[in-house]
Amino acid sequence: MPTPSDGEVVLAARGVSRRYPLAVPGQALKTTLLHPGQALRAWRTRRRRELWAVRDVSFEVRRGEFFSIVGANGSGKSTLLRLLAGLSKPTRGSVEVRGRVSTLLELGSGFHPQVSGRENVIMNGLLMGRTRREMEALLPAIVEFSGLQEFIDQPMRTYSSGMYVRLGFAIAAFMDPEILLVDEVLAVGDAKFQEKCYEHIAGLQRKGVTMVMVSHDLGAVERFSDRAALMERGRMVAIGPPRKIVGLHLERLAETSPEIKQAIDEGIAADEERVRQMLEEDPEWAAAFAAALERNPAFHEKLREQAERERSG
Amino acid sequence: MAMARQAPQRSLRNAFELVTALTSRDLKLRYQGSVLGWAWSLARPLALGAVLAFALGRVLGTGITAEFLLAGLFPWFWFQGGVQGAAGSFIGNGGLLKKVRFPRAVLPLSTVLGATLQFALSLPVLVGFVVAAGNEPSAAWLGLPLVFVLQLGLTAGLGLFVASVTVYFRDLEHITEVLLTLLFYATPIIYSVDRVPEGYRWLTYVNPLAPIMEGWRSILLDGALPAWSHLGASAALTAAALAVGWVTFRRLEDGFADAI
Repeated sequence: MPTPSDGEVVLAARGVSRRYPLAVPGQALKTTLLHPGQALRAWRTRRRRELWAVRDVSFEVRRGEFFSIVGANGSGKSTLLRLLAGLSKPTRGSVEVRGRVSTLLELGSGFHPQVSGRENVIMNGLLMGRTRREMEALLPAIVEFSGLQEFIDQPMRTYSSGMYVRLGFAIAAFMDPEILLVDEVLAVGDAKFQEKCYEHIAGLQRKGVTMVMVSHDLGAVERFSDRAALMERGRMVAIGPPRKIVGLHLERLAETSPEIKQAIDEGIAADEERVRQMLEEDPEWAAAFAAALERNPAFHEKLREQAERERSG
Repeated sequence: MAMARQAPQRSLRNAFELVTALTSRDLKLRYQGSVLGWAWSLARPLALGAVLAFALGRVLGTGITAEFLLAGLFPWFWFQGGVQGAAGSFIGNGGLLKKVRFPRAVLPLSTVLGATLQFALSLPVLVGFVVAAGNEPSAAWLGLPLVFVLQLGLTAGLGLFVASVTVYFRDLEHITEVLLTLLFYATPIIYSVDRVPEGYRWLTYVNPLAPIMEGWRSILLDGALPAWSHLGASAALTAAALAVGWVTFRRLEDGFADAI
């Protein structure tokens, strides 16, 4: 079996940077009129306030490869994916793509809540360049994969977020893509559907489909990717085997968050109340924590002991 | 290694199906759950026509007739609905623009098409009023498609322009609303061009909508084609509106996803 590293390059970023002007607090008409000097100063300095969301990123992805991008919130990974998808243009550098791209960005990519799932599937296909006839032919397979047969004629406002993801992924996956770009979303669906998605992706990969995923689900990144990259403040600081990249990411997280460091060092019992609170408040931290647990058998042991203590006590 | 950024390949068929699907979805949603459905699109011109016929015709005694007003009001609401609807079409579909790559122009164009469809569906009602008022259909009616195409082009051009600029300058949506109200009175809709004093007559030449409104009335009520000089001026302004709308859109569209 040919390994992905033999394939041709189908997606490449070359020195890609993206600058955004930072939003200046809106000047109300009233303030502008009452304090013209202040308003003028704000207007003059507004051009200087900008943010490089992605800085000088270069990498190549080969045909059939599963490439994951991890990083903390605001590290630029979603912006990078949007640049790869051609939804926004790099300020510097270039993105090169060879093949049909299918994207699944965030929740409910362009679904209209007031119309039925069926109509949304057709509309999505038309938006992606398919004809109505093609979409009607694809519809049964999409509906079947999503498992939403009973709900497909209901308006999408009645769907749960999990159902949105199911339908969104089913459409993206059945568009016969050559390159599939997926942002987060898979973390929202239930575990069983996630499994089905990754299975489907593996099937697509065998057919030569290339996958680029941005995810906080470090467990999935380790399990499924061929290679991974770590983003930090807009830069791609490391590219390599997923296990190493996830480890590096966790180390960096531990450096920035004493709670995570403590949890990794001492296991879950460190400060149970605090840990539980953080798990609820910060999904990113929760994902990192779950991955840390999975990587460290000692955690499992501690958890088991603790559960037993609770049962006997 | 030469590798070009590939634009998604699209057939003309896809573009057509996309625009019609968006249009029919908008129309369906607008009248979803309402008992009278599209008949509501008749309500505004008919109600305004009735009130104005009373206020201008009877109270002020100008002798203006209901069919005169209706022949201007129906096309006006098409124009107004198209431009105003298009103005919010990009900012109202921010989610779509951010997440899916598709030809963006279909958003304002489908809004304009929706307003056009509503007008086309209400046209038989207008013709009914015109004929009931004693105007026989004549050979001049064959000129209706000409006026129709002029107004469609003007609405699409202005709609595209307003929709594109509104993404960066949100106030334009509201400015458009105000300007449309002013344009309603500045255009010969509730009066005819010959009532305009000589000194202001030039205004009707720089207003691309004026010859169109005159055109509808002259064909439907007088059985005569409008003056070619007038139509020519309108055609030139319509072409200019389309060109400006398209160029503005092309220059601005790359930044839409980031600006919204």
